Amino acid sequence: MGILERITKNVDNKYWYPENDTFPVKNRYTAGVAGQKFFQELKDNGKIYGTTCAACKLTFVPAKLFCEQCFAELDDWVDVGTTGILWSWTIAYKNKDDSKKETPTLLAAIRLADGLLVHWLGECSPEDVEIGMPVTAVFKDPGEREGSLLDIGHFKPVIS
Amino acid sequence: MSKKVAIVGLGYSSFRTTSQDVSYREMIFEAATKCYEDAGGVHPQDIDAFVACSEDFMEGISIADEYVPDQLGAVLKPVQSITGDGLQGLASAAMHVLTGELDLVTLSAFSKASNVLHYANVVSYACDPTYVRPLKENPYFIAGLEMNRYLYETGTTEEQCAMVTAKNKGNALFNPTAAYGAKIDVKDVLQSDPLFSPLKYLDKSQDLDGAIVFLLASEEKAYQYTDKPIWIKGLGWATDTPNLDNRLDGMGDAVYARLAAQKAYEMAGITYPRKEIHFAELDDTFSFKELQHLEALNICSRGEAGKLLEQGVFSKNGDFPVNVSGGSLGVGYLHEANGLQRLMEVVLQLRGEAGKRQLDDVETGLAFAWRGIPTATGAAAVLSSRY
Repeated sequence: MGILERITKNVDNKYWYPENDTFPVKNRYTAGVAGQKFFQELKDNGKIYGTTCAACKLTFVPAKLFCEQCFAELDDWVDVGTTGILWSWTIAYKNKDDSKKETPTLLAAIRLADGLLVHWLGECSPEDVEIGMPVTAVFKDPGEREGSLLDIGHFKPVIS
Repeated sequence: MSKKVAIVGLGYSSFRTTSQDVSYREMIFEAATKCYEDAGGVHPQDIDAFVACSEDFMEGISIADEYVPDQLGAVLKPVQSITGDGLQGLASAAMHVLTGELDLVTLSAFSKASNVLHYANVVSYACDPTYVRPLKENPYFIAGLEMNRYLYETGTTEEQCAMVTAKNKGNALFNPTAAYGAKIDVKDVLQSDPLFSPLKYLDKSQDLDGAIVFLLASEEKAYQYTDKPIWIKGLGWATDTPNLDNRLDGMGDAVYARLAAQKAYEMAGITYPRKEIHFAELDDTFSFKELQHLEALNICSRGEAGKLLEQGVFSKNGDFPVNVSGGSLGVGYLHEANGLQRLMEVVLQLRGEAGKRQLDDVETGLAFAWRGIPTATGAAAVLSSRY
C-alpha cells in the first residue's frame, strides 16, 4: 500500500470481521526481563523461580526485577521449588461470558515463598480442599511447554 | 485541612437498569442541569473548573476526556478527567479549590453499564496479561478467592454475608433511586446460584445506569449557592499492588481501605471513628466487602463486623447505620459513579433531605468506595454539616 492507495471500505480492512461486525482488541505484551527468565525456567527446567530482596527479606514469586517495597534492583534468583501452600481457593461456576460452566473448575491462589500464583487445582474434589494444605505443580511434558503460565497444567494436593 | 471546601450542589439522573433512550452524555447533562439548579441556578459559565471520572473501556470509546466538556457546560474551560472512582475525583476537585485559585468546581461520574455487552472481558483486560489472563477464566473468580480468604482469616460466616444483602436490599425499599430493593432473608441468599464459591448470585451487586454531578465551592463562596453547605472534613485514597501475586495480606484484608481511612481520619481530626462519625455509606460490591471494609475502616475490629451486624448495630435504627441508601446491593452497581452514589446519600442525610430513610441527629458521615475487581484501590471521605 502506498501513499496514493487507501482502504475505503471497512470490509477490506483485514482487522475488521464483517461477518460478526467485530474489531478484535489485540496487542503484544512484553513479559519483561524478569518475566522472560521466569518463563524460560518453567519451560526448560520445570522450575519456579523467585527473586529475593535481602533488605526486605522477601522472595517475590513470580520473579521481579525490582522490589516494590524498597525499590532495589533484584538479581538474587532463587529456585523456590514446585510445592506451595494453598492460600485461598474457589469453585468457578461461570464462564467468561457469564454462561454456566458445564463442569465447574477449581481455582487456587498458591503461596510460593512470599508470592502467590493463581492457577487451577486438579486431581481432587472440593471436599478434600482446605486453606493451608500443601499443593504441588503438575507440569506439562517438556515438548508441550511454550514459556507461559500454562506450562504448569495445574496444581494438585500433596498426598502425605 | 488548611482551608475549607463545601459541597453546594447535587444532581443526579434517574437511575435505571437499562437506558436505551439516552446517551451517557445526555444522562450527565440531566444530572449537571439538576446540580446547577440545586446550587441556586448557577450558570456553568461561572464555574472555574471541571473534574470528570470515567473509564475508557466502559464507554466503547477511547481517550474519554475528550468526551467530557459539553454535557457539563465545560466547553473551553479547564477540565481534568480521572480514570477512577468518583471519590478519587472528589479528592481532585477539592484540591482544585484548596489551591485558592479556583472557587467553584464541578465533579461528575456516571455508569452506562447497560451498554457494555461483555463486562467480564473488560475486567479481564485489567488482569495481568502473563500471570492471570492465560487461564481465560471469568475474572470474578478473584472475588471468590478474596471472600474465602476473608472468611478463613476472620471467622466470618456465609450467613453473616447473606445478612448484609438482606439488610441493604431492605434499606433500598425506602430509597426511590434504588433499583434492587427487596424484602429477602438469609436463606434466599444462601440458596441463590453459586458464582465463585463461596460467592453466590445474591452476594453480588447488579449493574445500574446513572449519572451524578456535584458542585464544590470555597469557603468564601459557599453560602452564595446554598444555605446548607456540607463540608469536606477529610479525604484519603490508596492503591495496593495491582499484582495478585503480591497480595498475601491483601487477599483477605482491605489494606487499601485501612490506609485511605487513616489519612481521611487524620485530616478530619477523628480518633474514634465509630463515635465521632454517625453513619457510613461504604462499598458493598459484594456482601462480604461491606464487613471487610467496616473492619478496615476501623469502625470495628477484625472479625467483629459480622457479629455487630447480627446485633443490629449497622441497621437503619442501629447505633451505626451502614448503607441506609441500600448500597450497591440495593441501589445497584454504578461502576466509577459508585463513590458518588455513596457521597450523594451522605450529603442528603446531612442536609436532612433523605425522605423516609432520614436518620435522626446525624452531623458527620463517612463515604468509602472501592474500584472493584481486580483493583485494590479505595477512597474515603469524611463529611459534616458542621462548619
